[in-house]
Amino acid sequence: MMAYAAFARSGFLTSLAYRNEVWANIFGKLVQVFARVAIWLAVYAGVTAVDGIGIKDMITYALLGGVVMGTTRYERIVHQVGKALKTGDVAIWLLKPVHYPLYLLAVEAGMSLYTFLLAVVPTIIVVASVYGMLPPASLFHGVMFLPFCLLGFTIHFLCAAIFGVLAFWLMTIFSLEWLLQSLITLLSGLLVPFWFFPEPFGTIASHQPLAWLVYYPSAVWLGQLDVGGTLLHFGLGLAWAALLALALALLWRRASSRITVQGG
Amino acid sequence: MRNRLAILPLLIRMHVKSQMEYRGAFWLDRLAQIISYGAVLLILWILLQKFHQLGGWNWPELALLFSFQLLAYSLGASMSFTQLRELEELVRLGAIDTLLTKPVNTWAYLIFSGLNIGYVGHIILAIPVLVWALLAAQVEWSVGTALFFIFSLLSATMVTGALMTMIGATALIWVRSNHLFSIFFGFWELTRYPLGIFPTGLQVVMLTIVPLGYISSVPVAVLLGKPVPLLGDLAAPVTLLAGPCLVFIAIIHWRYALNRYQGAGG
Repeated sequence: MMAYAAFARSGFLTSLAYRNEVWANIFGKLVQVFARVAIWLAVYAGVTAVDGIGIKDMITYALLGGVVMGTTRYERIVHQVGKALKTGDVAIWLLKPVHYPLYLLAVEAGMSLYTFLLAVVPTIIVVASVYGMLPPASLFHGVMFLPFCLLGFTIHFLCAAIFGVLAFWLMTIFSLEWLLQSLITLLSGLLVPFWFFPEPFGTIASHQPLAWLVYYPSAVWLGQLDVGGTLLHFGLGLAWAALLALALALLWRRASSRITVQGG
Repeated sequence: MRNRLAILPLLIRMHVKSQMEYRGAFWLDRLAQIISYGAVLLILWILLQKFHQLGGWNWPELALLFSFQLLAYSLGASMSFTQLRELEELVRLGAIDTLLTKPVNTWAYLIFSGLNIGYVGHIILAIPVLVWALLAAQVEWSVGTALFFIFSLLSATMVTGALMTMIGATALIWVRSNHLFSIFFGFWELTRYPLGIFPTGLQVVMLTIVPLGYISSVPVAVLLGKPVPLLGDLAAPVTLLAGPCLVFIAIIHWRYALNRYQGAGG
């Protein structure tokens, strides 16, 4: 366990070493969050509420969308796993007394913590000070937002790692990265929340694991789910995370038992 | 000079041949990109199904904006992005020194030896959407409109290539420049939407410091006869001149960066 904490620390410190990239990241995120807010202001255009959702709700939703999605980078995870499998570097990790997916999770957690503290939080503060932001619907919803975000981070990592391991069979990281991007665009709720999706697509979208990346954490903050609904969906999210972790473990075991490293 | 340029088609042929060596993987990658951009288009459609308009633009008009942006970007980026993104690594490892000693223009060698035909996926999606949107958006066609469409697309392509060249060339001075591409793509995503919906400060930036407004929002607004913020009636000539002007600036910047290059290692 101490080893994984050290990996997380190293991930944090690695991010610290590339400050230019972090500043560019902050700037990029700031622009994107401003843009998301501008899109909602444009579509509402004077209308106070649509389907019971007000413009203030949507500005808050646009800001909160960056908490999980702005913190982690799925392409970094897919790339790292895929590259390690393709180049054979993974063989080194198989010799070490650590579990490679857990090592990746620890490093990603460290890097994400850095981005969260130095990019996401300042971005939210700046944009919220310009456009305003709604507080959580209640103390309960505010408290539950944090575990939902952690769950979102875990599901995000697991999905990205599964796509990375699939590179072992497909031998292409590029297309896996793009496919995951399309799924996240469509099914995380980052750009459009599911309550604005036409039915039955809204219901279908809210029952798949990527919904926990943006849609559910933001919906909880805004009080779109009551106490029972919040707890139920947290449980469902945990079940999805467990299922994805199992899938990753099985895929990883299968991939690592079939690895043939050529050259030397 | 002619002999030196004659090598360029050969470089392109060699690179295309190497890219097509793994044909299955190549087309799988293209399919993934088409699906990914298709997802963005689908999200835009879902939004418009609910709200009908975005900043006064309806669904066919936004589809036109999306496809124009994708086409201009893919044409410009195929001649610049991946090649100049790799320049940072060439500088860091000192491999750029080898290119500098070749009896051929360094930029031309870099670009044509890495011409990215992978953007064919973007084009496969962009062209049908563009054709449909041009028909559905009720553009008032005339010889002038048709010429404006062709030349504004050309100018938008030049803007993309020029900006990427300038970003990439910065690696010759700073060694690292890829983080600047993050900023580029941050702004680039905004060009899928009408310029008028953004705060004035952002509009100014997108028409001056990061002039990505000229790769889609401005030309498409002119084509549709929609008001262009800040530029007004000057929008049409400015968007046509933006490409050639930025290419000129990019040439100066490239030469300056090349003169400043002192190597990154020992």
